[in-house]
Amino acid sequence: MSKDKKGGLKRRDFLKIIGVASGTAAVASSCSPPVEQIIPYVIPPEGIIPGVPNYYASTCRECPAGCGIIVKNREGRAIKIEGNPESPINSGSSCAMGQAALQGLYNPDRVRSPLSNINAEKLQPLGWAEAEKALTEKIEELRGSGKTGNIVFLSNNITGSLGNLVDQWMGALGGKHIQYETYAHEPLKEANKISFGIEKIPTYHIEKTDYLLSFGADFVETWLSPVEYTKQFSQMHGVKDKSVGRFVHVEPRASLTASNADEWISVKPGTEAILALGIANEIVKSGNSPNGGGGLRGLLSQYPTDKVSEMTDVPQEVISQIAKEFSSRKPSLAIGGGVSVTGTNATETLVAINILNYVAGNIGETVDFGDTLSISTADSFQDITSLVSSMENGDIDILFVYDVNPVFTLPKQLNFKEALGKVPFVVSFSSFMDETTELANLILPNNTTIESWGDYSPRESVHALIQPVMSPVFNTKSTGDVILSVSGQVQELNGKFTQTTFYDYLQDSWKQIWAGASGAGDFDTFWKQSLEKGGYYKDLPSKTVSVSPAVASLKFSEAEFTGEGEFYFIAYPSYKYYDGKGANKPWLQELPEAITTGVWSSWVEVHPDTAKKLGVEFGDFLSLESPQGVIETQVYVYQGIRPDTLSVMIGQGHTSYGRYAKDRGVNPIDMLPLATDAKSGGFAWLSTKVSAAKINKSEQFVQTQYTTTQHDRDIAQAISLTELEKGVHHEEHHEPDFYPPREYDRYRWGMAIDLQKCVGCGSCVTACYAENNIAFVGKEMVAKRRDMAWIRIERYFEESNNNAGFQTRFLPMMCQQCGNAPCEPVCPVFATYHNPEGLNGMVYNRCVGTRYCANNCTYKVRKFNWFTYKWPEPLDWQLNPDVTVRSKGVMEKCTFCVQRINHAKDLAKDEGRDVSDGEFKVACEQACPAEAIVFGNLEDKESEVSKQSHDDRGYNVLAAINTQPGITYLKKVTQDKA
Amino acid sequence: MSDKQGVLGVFTYLDETLNAVKKLRDAGFKNLRVFSPFPNHEIEEVMDEPESIVRFFTLGGAMLGAACGVGFTVLMSSDWPISVSAKPIVSLPPFMVIIFELTILMGALATLLGLLINSRLRRNVPTTMYDTRFSEDKFGVMITCEKENVKDAEEILTSQGAEDIKFDGV
Amino acid sequence: MSEQNTLTYARVNDDIIRMLDKPTFKWWALFLPTLLFVGFGLFCFIYQVYTGLGVAGYRHPVFWGVYITDFVFWVGIAHSGTLISAILFLFRANFRMSIYRIAEGMTVFAVLTAGLFPIIHLGRPWNFYWLFPYPNQRELWVNFKSPLLWDVFAVSTYLTVSSVFFFIGLIPDIAAVRDRVKEVPRKILYSVLSLGWKGSNWEWLHYTRAYLFFAAFATPLVLSVHSVVSWDFAMSNLPGWHTTIFAPYFVAGAIFSGLGMVITLTVPIRKIFHLEDYITLDNYDGMAKLIMLTSGIVGYAYGIEFFMAWYSGSPAEWGQFYYRAVGEYALFYWIMVVCNVVIPLPLWFKSVRRNIKALFIISIFINIGMWFERFNIIVISLSRGFDPAAWGIYTPSWVEIGITVGSFAWFFMFFLIFLKTLPAVSIAEMKEILPVPKKEAKTS
Repeated sequence: MSKDKKGGLKRRDFLKIIGVASGTAAVASSCSPPVEQIIPYVIPPEGIIPGVPNYYASTCRECPAGCGIIVKNREGRAIKIEGNPESPINSGSSCAMGQAALQGLYNPDRVRSPLSNINAEKLQPLGWAEAEKALTEKIEELRGSGKTGNIVFLSNNITGSLGNLVDQWMGALGGKHIQYETYAHEPLKEANKISFGIEKIPTYHIEKTDYLLSFGADFVETWLSPVEYTKQFSQMHGVKDKSVGRFVHVEPRASLTASNADEWISVKPGTEAILALGIANEIVKSGNSPNGGGGLRGLLSQYPTDKVSEMTDVPQEVISQIAKEFSSRKPSLAIGGGVSVTGTNATETLVAINILNYVAGNIGETVDFGDTLSISTADSFQDITSLVSSMENGDIDILFVYDVNPVFTLPKQLNFKEALGKVPFVVSFSSFMDETTELANLILPNNTTIESWGDYSPRESVHALIQPVMSPVFNTKSTGDVILSVSGQVQELNGKFTQTTFYDYLQDSWKQIWAGASGAGDFDTFWKQSLEKGGYYKDLPSKTVSVSPAVASLKFSEAEFTGEGEFYFIAYPSYKYYDGKGANKPWLQELPEAITTGVWSSWVEVHPDTAKKLGVEFGDFLSLESPQGVIETQVYVYQGIRPDTLSVMIGQGHTSYGRYAKDRGVNPIDMLPLATDAKSGGFAWLSTKVSAAKINKSEQFVQTQYTTTQHDRDIAQAISLTELEKGVHHEEHHEPDFYPPREYDRYRWGMAIDLQKCVGCGSCVTACYAENNIAFVGKEMVAKRRDMAWIRIERYFEESNNNAGFQTRFLPMMCQQCGNAPCEPVCPVFATYHNPEGLNGMVYNRCVGTRYCANNCTYKVRKFNWFTYKWPEPLDWQLNPDVTVRSKGVMEKCTFCVQRINHAKDLAKDEGRDVSDGEFKVACEQACPAEAIVFGNLEDKESEVSKQSHDDRGYNVLAAINTQPGITYLKKVTQDKA
Repeated sequence: MSDKQGVLGVFTYLDETLNAVKKLRDAGFKNLRVFSPFPNHEIEEVMDEPESIVRFFTLGGAMLGAACGVGFTVLMSSDWPISVSAKPIVSLPPFMVIIFELTILMGALATLLGLLINSRLRRNVPTTMYDTRFSEDKFGVMITCEKENVKDAEEILTSQGAEDIKFDGV
Repeated sequence: MSEQNTLTYARVNDDIIRMLDKPTFKWWALFLPTLLFVGFGLFCFIYQVYTGLGVAGYRHPVFWGVYITDFVFWVGIAHSGTLISAILFLFRANFRMSIYRIAEGMTVFAVLTAGLFPIIHLGRPWNFYWLFPYPNQRELWVNFKSPLLWDVFAVSTYLTVSSVFFFIGLIPDIAAVRDRVKEVPRKILYSVLSLGWKGSNWEWLHYTRAYLFFAAFATPLVLSVHSVVSWDFAMSNLPGWHTTIFAPYFVAGAIFSGLGMVITLTVPIRKIFHLEDYITLDNYDGMAKLIMLTSGIVGYAYGIEFFMAWYSGSPAEWGQFYYRAVGEYALFYWIMVVCNVVIPLPLWFKSVRRNIKALFIISIFINIGMWFERFNIIVISLSRGFDPAAWGIYTPSWVEIGITVGSFAWFFMFFLIFLKTLPAVSIAEMKEILPVPKKEAKTS
């Protein structure tokens, strides 16, 4: 009886938490403790119809970009994350990291309750009341002893309400709030301060440009706001009435971003500034500068092309070529500040780039200082170093750590770990047992973004809301609530905060935003609208800026390198793991890295010549040594890197952080010296030279594609720009057929994939894992080519007449849903067949596992369940109830998200109409930041997909086999050397 | 029929056996039976039995098999019409294989049946008037006749060099 | 045929039925180990069913491997049995008489073995019966367009027909054994099996006709079965599989490997049971000539495959065959070529054809070579399909090897039992080729 009552209560509480979008009445009282058991219901609470998903707008916090997301909730469990079309940042798309946020939420290695080692050797679980009491006592004890200012709250860049709360709290306690971002982009701020007097990071408008020149800005991967800039890039670089924008990328290694460039310019590390000035000089010299170079002629004249070419290893003709195009193809844009090329002269480089933009007359055109990024407000690396020193001096008594992992992300030379040992009381709010948290005395696990209230303002124009999509999976508590309740218990703080829950605090602070918003109606409607839209977005007028004359007198130098080794060492941030944060998510570990297709490990990129010199081959191990440390990792021989440079991806090499991250790969940050950018004081990532030596170890390089060329199979095809302009005719294949062609009546589902837009980021792959319950299998199984991915991004290095000598092509390959499917007739039991809507159906229950279908699949896109794969609890909570979980012995493959198709058809049927074009999106299409994938009905001649399928560039892969695929690829456009 | 009697002569040599048969037939003896350890053409000629009808079993079986083949494939495909690879539901080329195999199968089984029925192979042990030496190296001639003719038969057999003669009251 | 003159009908019975005497120690020494290996194979299979097919070496894109190789190998072995007993019967080739019984036994047991593999290799073997068109209330039927279903029909037909053929041939001989044995249980057994055969002219009349028709049926059957098996591959679109020469190529290969196995089996039997007077050098000579022929056909196929691949101008086709010759699997490819084409060459010399030791060694190599031929066709083709992004290398696991070894044991287990229970040489037909005893012949 009482049990029932209890259960009933819990169901209601749950309702209160998730019912938010339907009104604030319920929300106003959603202060009750989180509940763990959510489903199954005895009686479904009103508002929840079993089988019908609820969608909640929220904000992604996997990286500082702050994309808007829509989280799909089924029976109280978040099962899918998708981009929020309302968000001005990512407008509907998402990246692999964002998709994988769910595996953070359901991570089996989360901290499941408060832990403390105050009166125990090891960390022991304890209740929230105890935990908060313990913290309160510590604070009061500290204040009793009269010490103030010895409390530091170290967090990532938390803007918005939580940021304010922490500031106030620290203010009240006399402590300090330090916001630490691994990639704080300080040089960008500093450079803008020097050149324009604005210490801010602007927003860029790549989509408006016709010519993009990037100095190591890896905007497809991690630079500032990857999804947004990838989308802009695909608009700029995609085919618009037979013309395409041109993108030139300058970097010592061909990163994923560089791989999407029309030209990759391999520059000598640390000399980007010189190159930029050289180009600017060319422009001014040749009189192509609208402002004639302003007062900078003198400065620029010190950088004649021949000298620059010598210093940068970039051929003179290339420099003048770029100069010509940069000034002629308007509007153009030069960007820089990628983490991996941030050297000791980073600020100078960026000033030089600003100068380049200035002489070409781009300032104000494609760079917008009206709307600046909030990452600008993160504290500087100086603050971190001083914090560490005061920690070492024992001046810090309580250190709060929130959503940062400095032990892992700070260079070892800074000795953060040792310093941490000197802090008597360390409190971590992390929900994961990472390298920093495991050294804490008290762990107060925070809710993940998907479980908690909050807001985040990634830039001035965006106030994004974070709302709980489900009640907490474990016994965790939102840090905001912890702070408030602790403040309530600390004597002197009584009455400091009127609110008792962070939700109230959040609403109060939004009252100010509401006040600022003109014509938003009463607060409740404003609040409700904001919740539904995922936040409050305003338009800011762009600000005109002018270059300060000071730059004319600036000295520009090359970057300085420490270390005796012969190789420049690049540690580059990962679009899968960011700064290591993503490493505990199996989806990201199993997502093949675009260039190497490597998974579940680390590697060092080595130029073929260098490899020969070092006597190593693909798969051998190299020992890299810098004064700061040694790492041993596997060789990936890659023509896309300078012979005098080696590079390792950041993110692996965790010594803790859960079963999926622990003891996997190496952490290149350990190799880096404590060098900083001279002008901004920001950390210099590219500042060391290493020596490399072969070690007597070699093993299989675990990757998903073992070939780099197409072996003349013409899978990923390209068309030259000149051909495109001339206009070629779409080869329709009408080969004589033994049987008459197949007829469809209302629907023939099909897809068009634009290879000119696809950047190979793999967010479609992860989205597919999430939507279709695809099992992750681990390194050992991938080594046996048993990965279960339904989409694979094929990556080919093609001979080319560009400067690099090769061009990278990406091609997403999934089931082609063939009209004459080779897999169908060979199945003895009709387990796979052709449905009336052109789908190549796969009936798991009927499959006996002869695997002939896979043998006969021209595209080899079928995957077989060699075992019954398991999702460790609670990862299995994420499984999509609409999709069968496959068991051992059956074949599986891309279904074109048939569950989504059927859902849309049901809706249409209820409304007595046909499914209209673009009414729904399949998972990969939905996720794609480049909007390269279009899905729809080929029978509808007006649909986008039909149009694209008949595009001049359209072709079917391996059309000669006459499989009549449902997927049309649009050829990549190659730009010949002009 | 107690007035009938069987006489069995055992021979070593084939020619003697055959002569005996001829003689007996001249003497007007009907339903003779010859035993031999292996099939032999001379015996067949002399005995001059009508052509075996096993072949009709074979033909019938084969035709039935073909019919089943067509039936199976066409009917079953139509009963669960599933479209694969844009091929018609009933497309004969692939079905020919099934039809062929079933033709062979049933033809063969019918032949077996024909053999068992026609050569009366449905006992567990040889009935009377059999000598185990027939499966080794001896030939045999068996006559079933009226009691009064037994003597003549015996004479002919011995005259033709039968090593051994057996009688049996049928 | 000098030595045959010393044979008499009586001696034929003596010699051949003597083979069925109480098993000797030697026999047990062979038999028990086979049981052991069969057991291990069974264990491997159970382990695989329980854990999942992943315990085999399979991986994307090589979805077929050693199991299907074994399947084709054993079906191939099965073929020469029918060839020798049926086709050579129609051609009235007398050298078949002495060996066809062994060959037929081999056929039946080989098909019994082959039949296991399509089930072993299934992802969900407990559902294997779904491949048969049995009536069920959901009215689900099978896909008659699938080559795999053709297989189901072809192989089961082949098993049935060859077993019946085997049995028919045995009836008169079983009768002979029946008349010889004394112990009651065996007497009863053979009496029942012989169906009361008496050897009357009436029985012989129908027997010979029926036998003729069987031969007439078995001949197209044997050709069709391996053609169907070859279509399992040829019907696909995979480079290296999708070729029209597969049917004749496979049939020739099957006969080739089958004859190899016959020699491998008969040579020791001939020695142990002193059957020199029955299985004569002429018999071996005849088989060796057939091996020369089929080896030639197979060699031609190897060559023409390369030519066609090159001539087709398709990068996928040519890539596949170039890879076979020089890729990771080149060793296996060249093992195949040497064993099947080079090593049989000495057979062109009569002296070699009549040298038992040489024949035995060559036959062993043929067995090895033909196993690898199937492995190469299946695995190498699969590992390099159309799309380079999906290429992969396959290596068998201990489970697959265990099951393969088990299958050999399984085959020999049946064969050893056969040797001790049924006349391994046809008594009746041996007598057919002996001079008929006539009084004149003796007197004159």
